[in-house]
Parts: sequence; C-alpha cells; structure tokens
Amino acid sequence: MIALAKPEPPETSIASIEASRVKLSVEDLNFYYGKTHALKNVSIPFERNAVTALIGPSGCGKSTLLRTLNRMYALYPGQKATGRIMLDGEDILRPGVNLSMLRARIGMVFQKPTPFPMSIFDNVAFGVRLYEPLGKAEMADRVEDSLRRAALWDEVKDKLATSGLGLSGGQQQRLCVARCIAVKPEILLLDEPTSALDPISSAKLEETVTQLRSDYTIVIVTHNLGQAARLSRHTGFMYLGELVEFGQTAGMFTKPVTSRASDYITGRFG
Amino acid sequence: MAVSAPHVAARRLANILFVGFCGAVTVIALGALALILWSLVSQGIAGMNLDLFTKSTPAAGTPGGLINAIVGSVMMSALAMILALTIGVLAGTWLSEYAGQSRYGEIVRFLNDVLLSAPSILIGLFVYEGLVFPFKTFSGLAGAVALALLAAPVITRTTEDVLKLQPIALRESGVALGSPVWHVIRSILWRGAASGILTGALLAFARISGETAPLLFTALNNQFFSWDMTHPMASLPVVIFQDALTPYPDLNRLAWAGALLIAASVLAVTIIARAFSKEPKR
Repeated sequence: MIALAKPEPPETSIASIEASRVKLSVEDLNFYYGKTHALKNVSIPFERNAVTALIGPSGCGKSTLLRTLNRMYALYPGQKATGRIMLDGEDILRPGVNLSMLRARIGMVFQKPTPFPMSIFDNVAFGVRLYEPLGKAEMADRVEDSLRRAALWDEVKDKLATSGLGLSGGQQQRLCVARCIAVKPEILLLDEPTSALDPISSAKLEETVTQLRSDYTIVIVTHNLGQAARLSRHTGFMYLGELVEFGQTAGMFTKPVTSRASDYITGRFG
Repeated sequence: MAVSAPHVAARRLANILFVGFCGAVTVIALGALALILWSLVSQGIAGMNLDLFTKSTPAAGTPGGLINAIVGSVMMSALAMILALTIGVLAGTWLSEYAGQSRYGEIVRFLNDVLLSAPSILIGLFVYEGLVFPFKTFSGLAGAVALALLAAPVITRTTEDVLKLQPIALRESGVALGSPVWHVIRSILWRGAASGILTGALLAFARISGETAPLLFTALNNQFFSWDMTHPMASLPVVIFQDALTPYPDLNRLAWAGALLIAASVLAVTIIARAFSKEPKR
C-alpha cells in the first residue's frame, strides 16, 4: 500500500507585516545573559497602534525579548544584545542612544504592581516631571487624563493625595498603567500584567488595554492564552529562545502552522 | 499514612518545652530591663529639679545642675548624627546600589562590619591621635567626630540592608519611565526605605548617647557652661562617670539624674521620630 506523503509542517513560520504599518521591528536579535544564549536570531515586527501578544512556556524568552525593547537589560552588566531593533527606522541597540529618552518613549508595566511610595497624584506625575515643566493646572489635567485612560479615575478622584500603596492590587496595576501613559509614550510593554491579579481586576485591566490599543503600539507578554486571543491582533509563539511562529492571532489560535505552536496552544505542553 | 500516637505525644511535649523555655527567657530579659528602669527612675527622680536645667556642674557641697553637660551632649550628638547620617546613608546607598558583589564593595562591606564592632575606646584613641594631639587641645569637635565614627557604621549597615529589601521591580519601573538611576534612588528608594533608615539612625543615636570612653579622650570635660566646640566640652556620660565615683551624695544624685535624663531623651527622640514617620496605611 502506498501512503500518501503528507507534507511535514514547517519548523518555523513568521508572517510579515506591510512595512508602513510597522512601528517597531526586531531583526536578527541575539541575547546573552553572561554565557547563556537566551534569544536566538529573533526577528519580529510589531504593528503600529495594535496589540501584539508574546506567548510560550516559562523560560522561552518572552520577557527577555520585552526587556530588550526598552533596553532595560542595560542596567545589568553581563547582559548583551546583538542585532537590530528599529524604532521608526532608527536602531535603538546602537551605542550612544539616550536610554532615558528612549524609555520615555517606550513605557513598561511589570508583572507585580510597583506603585512608588508617594501619593497617587505624585505617582502619575513622576515621569512627567522628569521631562515636561508643566504648570499646576496642566499637570492636574494630565494626571486626570491619564487616570481616566487607565480606567482608574472614578475610583481615586477623591483621594489623589493619599498613598498609592493604599490601593488594591488591581488598582495599583492600573495606577502603573496611568503612570506610564502620563509620559505620553508611543509604545507600551506589558510584562504579564495580570498574572498577580484576581479575575475581576484582570478583566478591568484588559478593558483598559482594549481602550488604549488604538492609540498605542502595545506588546504584551502573557501566559493566559485567552487573554492573548481577546486582546491582540498578532501573536508570536516563542520556544527555547526562538520565535517559532508569528502571525495573525485569529489564524494562529484556530490553525497554527507549526506543530510546536499547535501543541502549545492545544495544551499538549506548557 | 499511619499516625503514631507516641510520636504525636512526643512532638507535643517538645513543643510545650520549647514554648515554655522561650517564655522563661523572655521573662528574664524583661525582668532585668524592669530592674534597670526601676533603679534608674527611683534614684534619678530625687535629683530632678529646676537647678538641673539652669546651673552648671558644681563642686562638692554647692548647689548645681547639669546644663553644661546637657548642652554639650546635645551639641556633640547632633553634630555627630549629621556627620554619621551623611556618611552612612551615602555609603550604604553605594554598597547596595552600585558596589554589588565587586571586590572593592566586599572590602568596604567587611571593613564597615569590623568598625561596627570596634571597641569605642579605640575610636576615642584614634580621634585623640588625629584631632586632639595635633591641635594641642581637647575639643567638642573631636568628641563629635568620635561619636560620628561610632554611629556611621550602624547607619551604613542598616541603610544597605533596607535598600536591598526594596523590590528590583520598583527600581526598574522608575528607570522604565525614563528616570536616571540616581533619581530613582533619591526619590523612590530612599523614600521607600525611609522608615528603615530612620530605625538605623535611632539605633545609632541610642548607641552614642551613652558613650563615655571615646569622649574621655576627645571632649574631656568642662566644669563651666560653653557653646564653644573648639574647646573642652562637658557631656552627660562623662559627668555621670565622674560624679558617680565621688563620695559625695549630692554629686551621686546628680549622676543618677543625668542617667535618667539620657534614658528619657532617647525614649523621647524615638517616640517623636516614629510619630513623624508613620507608615501609610496599606
């Protein structure tokens, strides 16, 4: 009997995005923690004013990739990135880039809420004060606007002078989002922003992201596949430091091209 | 899983013994503290009067007070704390935020720990050699420097420890907003660690407020009232030391009053400082 040769699924599958719609583009990125080779030849485009999700099992390099995008790794000697990350046509990995200015353009929200030990108002104003000499009224407007966009204003408008540490976990995380967008960044990096939150707070944060996604280029790392499906337009699946599959979220979750992505998404491992 | 009754009973007995032992030891420690406080208050209260705060230390048999020693102690401790806080907070910050595991950092950390447990009389001798002998006079300044050298290592150590307790994500989220590292340290980390740094400062203050040995070599003593820190200066511990050794009951009483005064002022400073640094409600 002759078996019909079924074509083997490809090892990797990286879809491309039309150049004019790309805000940030990673090209041939390699990353090292000392001698550990954590990212291997990763190339991935991030679409302007849309959400891109990064998924994959723990330790696959999602967070590492995120931390190269604002060069957070530069805080630590011994961590090194090679390749190119083009932001509006400019390579942000090249030496001489002003990291403070770069990070003002690329905001980041972390896994655990990190309110600063100061009032809610000062938390939001913190980043703004670094770069913009706003008057009192303008600053108040900026703070209110940021808190509204982060869907937190109604809950805190009467206690702006109280400590940010007094808020609940979910509120603290939205405070961190407000603090981020107050600086008027172009890109938001969200590193598992709901993993420390209860389901209701997670839902509120997702709602916030939904409201922001038409104005910001957002990259979100998440372990929650449902969250990736709900929020993102594109998804990248990473495994052992490689980008295995990248494409439209809808397609990826219904019909993944590579067997590794398919196994992960259908829950065979992870 | 099998539960063995004798095993459970033995474990319960061990627990009772351990808790009982801890309780007994606590009672001993608190009892000693209570006895000290009792003798301090009962003996010191007799010497408490207005003269204490208006007159300088007397010769035996004449009325007098401790105002020269009080002013001397306050001035020297205050200057010492200013010096020690400046050095201690900056050194602790450097150790925690910049030195990491570098060799130089390890050396500084080790030497600071050595200094932390150095006998205070050695510090006094050192300052005597450096600040008293060359200038040919004992001085309040030398006393303050000696006290600062005792206080600085305590503050350095606690500052480093409490800064290390601040989450890494807090530093990173400050940096992620485009803030330079030094600005993150100054306006976020110090603020977050303030109550811990304050605890270190209070510990250091409590330590130096009763120190006698380093002052004997440096500030010496002064029978008369003086604001002048470039000359010998009286201090409560040294006056207590001298008056307690005399055979005159009125001087002994003064010494007890001085001791009570030190204890009360450390308590007062601690309470005031705590009240000002109330943690925000979480």
